[in-house]
Amino acid sequence: MQSAQREFVVPCGQSGKLPPKPRKVRFGEPMSGKTLSNKARTTMWSVIFVYALTVAVNLGEFWPFSIYPMFSQAGNPWSRSVVREVPPGDTLSWDTTALADIPGQPYGVRSGGVDPIDLANFVSKTKEWDQDRVEALQLMLLADPPKDPLRLMVYRVRARLTETDSVAITATPYVLVGTDLAPDESHLNPELR
Amino acid sequence: MTTKASFFGNVWENLFDFGRPDSRGQRIFRRVFEAFIGAGSIWLAWYWGEYILRISDIVLELGFARYIDISFMHGNQLPIWNAWAITALVVLGFLRIDRWVPFGRWAYMLATLLLMLQYAARFVLGEIPHSSNLVGMGIMGFALAELIFRDRTEGGRFAIGFSYFFIGLGYTSAALSKLVARGLTWPDGRHLWLWVNEKAVDEMARSGSVELNFVQQLAVDHWWIATAFLAFGLLTEACAWLVWFRKPRYLVMWGVMALHMGIWVTMDILFALSVYEILLLGLPWAAFIDRLFPEKTSLS
Repeated sequence: MQSAQREFVVPCGQSGKLPPKPRKVRFGEPMSGKTLSNKARTTMWSVIFVYALTVAVNLGEFWPFSIYPMFSQAGNPWSRSVVREVPPGDTLSWDTTALADIPGQPYGVRSGGVDPIDLANFVSKTKEWDQDRVEALQLMLLADPPKDPLRLMVYRVRARLTETDSVAITATPYVLVGTDLAPDESHLNPELR
Repeated sequence: MTTKASFFGNVWENLFDFGRPDSRGQRIFRRVFEAFIGAGSIWLAWYWGEYILRISDIVLELGFARYIDISFMHGNQLPIWNAWAITALVVLGFLRIDRWVPFGRWAYMLATLLLMLQYAARFVLGEIPHSSNLVGMGIMGFALAELIFRDRTEGGRFAIGFSYFFIGLGYTSAALSKLVARGLTWPDGRHLWLWVNEKAVDEMARSGSVELNFVQQLAVDHWWIATAFLAFGLLTEACAWLVWFRKPRYLVMWGVMALHMGIWVTMDILFALSVYEILLLGLPWAAFIDRLFPEKTSLS
C-alpha cells in the first residue's frame, strides 16, 4: 500500500519507485550509535536552552538550575541572626551592642529543628514587621513549645570589614517571642514598628 | 563555527560512551548511581516536607513559587503527601514499572516535577541553598533518559554523562559568577575572614556556642593562607568544565572534592549529598568492580 502511494512517473515516461524512505526507529528498537548521539545531542542542547532561559528570567535560580552565585559577593557586609534565652523578669534593652556583649543565655535554634540560615533570612529580608511576621517567627521558633515558659530574643547580627582590616560585628535586638507572650507588635524593637 | 561544533561533538562523545563495550562493572555502577540519586531525591522530599509544616509565611519566592501561589502547600499535610508521591514514583521508576503500567516511563519525570514543587514550598524564607542541585540534576537526567532512550544501557550512560556535564557547567558558572562580581581580587584573604565569622555566627545560632577550629584560626591569623585557600577554590571551579573529558575527569573531580573539604573545614558547610555524588563519580568504580569480579568468558 505504502509503495503504491510512492509510485511516480519519471520524465522519460517510465514508471518507477522512489528509493525506500529511511524507516523511523520505533520505540523499543536498538538504535545505532549515530542515532543515539543525535538524540543525546538534541536533548542536551534543549536542556541547556531551558536552563539558560529559566535562570535568565528568574534571577539566576530555578531549582535545580542555577548560576551558582554563592560566595560571589566577597567582602560585602553580611547579616545573620542569633537567639538568646531571656528570663521573664529581665529588663529589656533594644540598643545595638557588640556581639560578645549581648545579654541572656545562649540558645541554639537546632533544639527546635530550625535552620539558622532560614532564621537569618527571615529577619534580614523582612522589610515590614507586622503581627503576621511576628506570629510566623514565633511559629518557626516555638513550633514545639516546651512545658516551662520560654522567652527568646531574636537578634540581627551585622558584620563588616573595617579600615584596619578587622571584622566588626554588632547585634541589634529585633523581636521578643515567648510561650507566655502574645505574638504582637508590642514585642518588636521600637525602631521597627 | 566548525571548531565550536567539533568541540561539543568531542564533549558529547567523551560524556556518553555510546557504542563502547559494556561490562558487569558498568552495569552495577549505573544501578548504584541511579539508586543513590533516587535515595537522595526521596531523602530531600521528606527532609523538606517535614520542614514545610512549620512554615506559615512567604518571604522570598523561588522556582515555581514565582508563578503559582505556593501557599497552598503551607498549613496542611500536602508536603507529606507530596513526599509520599515522590517516594512512590522514584521506587516505581527504579523498578522499571513501564513493563506493567502505561506511561510508566514518566515516573522519574513526575518525581522531578513534584520535587521542584517541594523545593519551591520549602525555600520561601529567603535562603537559596545549592546543596541539593546536583541530585536534582541527577534525577532529571534519569527522567530524560527514561523518556528518550529505550535501551537501559544507553539511557544509564546518558544519565551519568548528563550529571558530569552539569557538574562541570555548575562549578564553572560558580567561578564566573565570582569573577564577574569581584574580578581577580575575589581571592583576597580578608573575604574569607568575613565568611569564617559569618559561619561562626551561624553555628552560634544553631548550637548556642562556637569555637574556631585550627584551620579557621590559621586562616584568620594569616592573610596569605586565607588567600591561598580562596585562590585554590576559584581555580578548581574555573577548571571544572574539564570533567566533560575522560582523561582529566577524575583529577578534576578530586579537585572539586578537595574544594568541598576546604569549604567544610573553613566555613563549616558540608554539602553532604553533593560530596557523596562526587565520591561516586570521582572514582573509576566500574573498573574496580570489573577487576574484582571479572566476567566469565566462554572459550567455546
